[in-house]
Amino acid sequence: MAKYLAKRIFYLILTLFIVITLTFFLMKLLPGTPLTNQAKLSKSQIALIYEQYGLNKPVWQQYLLYLAGAVRGNFGTSFQFSDQPVSYLLSSRIGPSLQIGLQAMILGVIVGIVVGAFGAMRQNSWVDTTATVVSILGISIPSFVLAVLLQYYLGLKLGWFPIAEWGGFIYTVLPTLALGATPLAESARFVRTEMVDVLSSDYIELAKAKGLSRTGVIYHHALRNSLIPLITIVGPLAVNIMTGSMVVENIFSIPGIGEQFVKSVLTNDYPTIMGLTIIYSFMLCVVLLFTDILYGIVDPRIRITGKAN
Amino acid sequence: MADTVKLPEDSFKRINADDRAALDSEKIAAPSLTFAQDAWRRLRKNKGAWVSLIVLAIVFIMAFGSLVVSPHNPNAVNPSYANLPSKIPGIGINGFNGTLVQAGQRIDAYKQAGASSKFYIMGTDYLGRDLFSRVLYGTRISLIIALVATLFDLTIGVTYGMFSGWKGGRIDTIMQRIIEIILSIPNLVVIVLLILILKPGMTSIIIAIALTSWTNMARLVRAQTMEIKEQEYILAARTLGERPLKIAFKHLLPNLSSVIIINTMFTIPNAIFFEATLSYIGIGISSPQASLGTLLNDGQKNFQFLPYQMWWPALVLSIIMLAFNLLGDGLRDAFDPRTKE
Amino acid sequence: MKINSAVKLGTVATFAAVLLAACGSSSNSSSEASKQTLNWMENSALPSMDSSTATDVVSGETMNNTGEGLLRIGKNSSIHPGVAKSYTKSKDGKTYTFNLRKSNWSNGDKVTAKDFVYAWQRTVDPKTASQYAYMYAQVKNANAIMNKKKPVSSLGIKAEGNYKVVVTLTQATSYFPSLVASPMFFPQNKSVVQKYGKKYATNAQDNVYNGPFKLTYWTGTSDNWTLSKNTKYWDAKNVKLKKINFKTMKDPQTSLSQYQSGKLDATYLSGQQPKNYKNDKQYVERKSASTFYIELNEKKDSMMKNKKARQALSLAINRNQFVNKVLADGSTAAKGLVSTGLAENKGTDFNTAAAVPSATSQDLAKAQKLWKQALKETGRSSYSLTLMADDTPAGKNSAEFIQSQWAKLDGLKVTNSNLPFKTRLSRSQNGQFDAVISAWGADFPDPISFLSLFTSGNSYNNGKWASKAYDKYVAAATGKDANNNTARWNDMVNAQKTILNDQGVIPVYQQGKAQLVKSDVKGLIYFPTGANWDFSRAYIAK
Repeated sequence: MAKYLAKRIFYLILTLFIVITLTFFLMKLLPGTPLTNQAKLSKSQIALIYEQYGLNKPVWQQYLLYLAGAVRGNFGTSFQFSDQPVSYLLSSRIGPSLQIGLQAMILGVIVGIVVGAFGAMRQNSWVDTTATVVSILGISIPSFVLAVLLQYYLGLKLGWFPIAEWGGFIYTVLPTLALGATPLAESARFVRTEMVDVLSSDYIELAKAKGLSRTGVIYHHALRNSLIPLITIVGPLAVNIMTGSMVVENIFSIPGIGEQFVKSVLTNDYPTIMGLTIIYSFMLCVVLLFTDILYGIVDPRIRITGKAN
Repeated sequence: MADTVKLPEDSFKRINADDRAALDSEKIAAPSLTFAQDAWRRLRKNKGAWVSLIVLAIVFIMAFGSLVVSPHNPNAVNPSYANLPSKIPGIGINGFNGTLVQAGQRIDAYKQAGASSKFYIMGTDYLGRDLFSRVLYGTRISLIIALVATLFDLTIGVTYGMFSGWKGGRIDTIMQRIIEIILSIPNLVVIVLLILILKPGMTSIIIAIALTSWTNMARLVRAQTMEIKEQEYILAARTLGERPLKIAFKHLLPNLSSVIIINTMFTIPNAIFFEATLSYIGIGISSPQASLGTLLNDGQKNFQFLPYQMWWPALVLSIIMLAFNLLGDGLRDAFDPRTKE
Repeated sequence: MKINSAVKLGTVATFAAVLLAACGSSSNSSSEASKQTLNWMENSALPSMDSSTATDVVSGETMNNTGEGLLRIGKNSSIHPGVAKSYTKSKDGKTYTFNLRKSNWSNGDKVTAKDFVYAWQRTVDPKTASQYAYMYAQVKNANAIMNKKKPVSSLGIKAEGNYKVVVTLTQATSYFPSLVASPMFFPQNKSVVQKYGKKYATNAQDNVYNGPFKLTYWTGTSDNWTLSKNTKYWDAKNVKLKKINFKTMKDPQTSLSQYQSGKLDATYLSGQQPKNYKNDKQYVERKSASTFYIELNEKKDSMMKNKKARQALSLAINRNQFVNKVLADGSTAAKGLVSTGLAENKGTDFNTAAAVPSATSQDLAKAQKLWKQALKETGRSSYSLTLMADDTPAGKNSAEFIQSQWAKLDGLKVTNSNLPFKTRLSRSQNGQFDAVISAWGADFPDPISFLSLFTSGNSYNNGKWASKAYDKYVAAATGKDANNNTARWNDMVNAQKTILNDQGVIPVYQQGKAQLVKSDVKGLIYFPTGANWDFSRAYIAK
């Protein structure tokens, strides 16, 4: 296992390196500069501003300088917040995104598993139908529509929760609900489908025949064996949600990272986009590693280290 | 139990010719069905799936039929009829009778605009375009995007995942790293690049989806393949010397069907929402083209005053999703060899 | 700026009378509510507080309330005294002498003439890499310094003692007083700038303020920031508000809901919102000095070079229907390239003097005729073009509407292309377009801010329209007639008439901003150029 881990960590670094390289050069293909009114600047002024941002050097030198900086935790200066280092921009704004994302994932996955399991246990009953319809509605309403509905009805009309802005826990409720719908629906669907399969398999019949309690069968056998697809899906989804949704953050005025991400892509603010991509990619690779390890724990039949043939 | 059991004499009866004939008539001899025929038969027995199939067929016919026949031109601008609410002839319920609440009072918007004789069953948008025609138009665009994404999922995603999971070892490691890299490069970078190289619009969005959407399917299929390939029937098939390609189609694919179908059910809305989010950011389909996503996005902005502009596209999208999902469930039951009758 | 009955040359312009008027109109304290807090929204976060490097509107607006230049801009772009009590202008209009009052920075330091000299030199210094340094172009030697040809100390600003600033210009510039009132010309405290070095003005603490308010909360990247009354401000007794909370609201639905629930005292309306509040007491329309116009790429082909084709495209657009039925947010149909209300001469607005109705109105029949002729003259039977616009809601609305109007011309096929701002800009500047919807907001209240864009060779002249007569008029207005108000005015009027008669651009609309303001908020000062808002006289009524 230790050898396997070491190998995976090596791959992780390799993947990160490739992602940084690829993204860097892809971003260089995009137009966009730190200049906001290029047309009014003289050539020498433009040259000076480029020099400040290190954009006067050939692309490969910029790349090497960037790598050298990134290793030391220096991601450069943002184009959007012209005086702020990217590392500060990210560290001061990623907190709310992480918090809401994590809450939404936990809520969504737990409720999703429960809903899915109930649906599977009472297959084709009204419980099942309701669970199915709820989870389908969960994925058929885009988060910006759900956010607007929650804000209008629970925030403005009923006044139960704050409409927007960032304060204590109470401010996170509506954005969490809006973001949680997708993981909820996806987990519910995957768990239900898998569990229906598992429940009809022989070892469950055997467990039942052995006189194991219903909850015991569900918990120890059925649920555990239904989690494989869920684990596969949940990892990247969690990283996606936790690195900020521009839509939900804009609607609830959350000081997160979502909009910076979108803006930095649209303006070729490569210091910011690179900083975010590195964080995103790192989280993703770690999550995928955990996913692979979890496969083995959840289902001992899967061998991650060995060769099949 | 070596003891001889004594049975009464009349426990058994000799068979005569008549009895033999009767037995033959009880013989169960269903015509031998292929896998596909069997699946089709099972699908037809599932009421929900059958209704969904019909609903989807209607939606497809209307959406693509609107190319030929449409109640109005979806792009015909008429600003004096802007923002008229739904009006369906013969229905007097608020919300469908052309009235709306403005500054606290319910007024007849059609009368105000001097269009008392007109009917827009879903109302009009801010340029006075018929919303029903635009919803049909938008449905068509969204369906195309969704279907293309599904196609790539089913071809690239499934093949890639099965191959990676089946081979295992070094090949698997490399293939998984490639997926990690694709997952790590922000989709937005890809789409913005494509918009630059090509043009903003359908083609760029479809290519972006094609490049990035299949990874989840590949990962799911790989995980499931790793589980299945350790099972006895695969071992049996291998021991019997089946070719890997045949094992893949005959044994793996049917057993993967439930995961594949369920994931497809997510690919469809995800593709539609990807496009919708792009239009929220502002780089989606160029106006005056429309998709369900752009319509929802426009409607969302005016929800407080003109709720129907969001409800109609949301309703249509939900119906499509519900139908796709119920059909998906039906397909899953039909294709999955483990399903019990 | 207003070109009122031209200021007599060489007269001393003092502000005694203006000052009295400003103070006299302030309310008595009995009508004020006990809680003097204003909750204000912005569409985007505050990116910078360094007056040398800031480039955006939000920064300008905030700095205009935390700092003060030699002069202040007030209602309708009128000029009021700021740190300078009074100023004199030399006969040739090239030298300004400002007499400063005794005032303090928020840390107790004195605001002196040296702070202005330091700030101006720092902005123009190429090392600072200020993107708005070009605004200093009229100040002597500024261009040479920006191009590293002369030392920073040669800039045309001198401190005579602690309380007198003498500015030398390269040529007479009638709008110079309104320039020095904008945040780019504010003073900076040298010891503070040097003390904080790289961290200067990157958060609320590492900065000093000499305006009516000081920034008390801002992390540098936060979505909210707070201004509090600056008790060290020289006119603090007339500043009523204790606190202003700025909140970033990126979604118009959200800001409206926040307004409805009392969390905001004012909100901008967008999309279909203004239509629903048209008759509300709290509804206000603010005109801004921005014109939206279509540029046609004359380098592309003979059709766009054909004057009749350009006129047909202009005549096909029903501007009134667009601003009243589609935008309905206080925007008005453009009457010319220069925005209406920006400048007037002897009570006549610039656009009244320089109107060319045929270039800004609709006549579909005439448009059809001209279009047919243009097709014939260029030997075509049909023409197709792509209309490029921003990807903002307003950009999309405009593109959709104009496309529907142009579609009425026989044999014209229009496709739309909505692009992110920076992409749109770079394509415009590289000539990769057929037709593009562009916008320009005046940097200072003078028509030349718009007119200088379309001289041949100007980098903002994306369509590459060129006219010798036009170039001559603009050159005269900025050169030989610079110190002769009547002649200068006539030059500018002729310039606009020339470009409109030739349909060098197609003006579409002048932007308006619809806003809801709580009725107990009084004394807000709005002006259509630059920083837009001054809260120094605002208060909450009972």
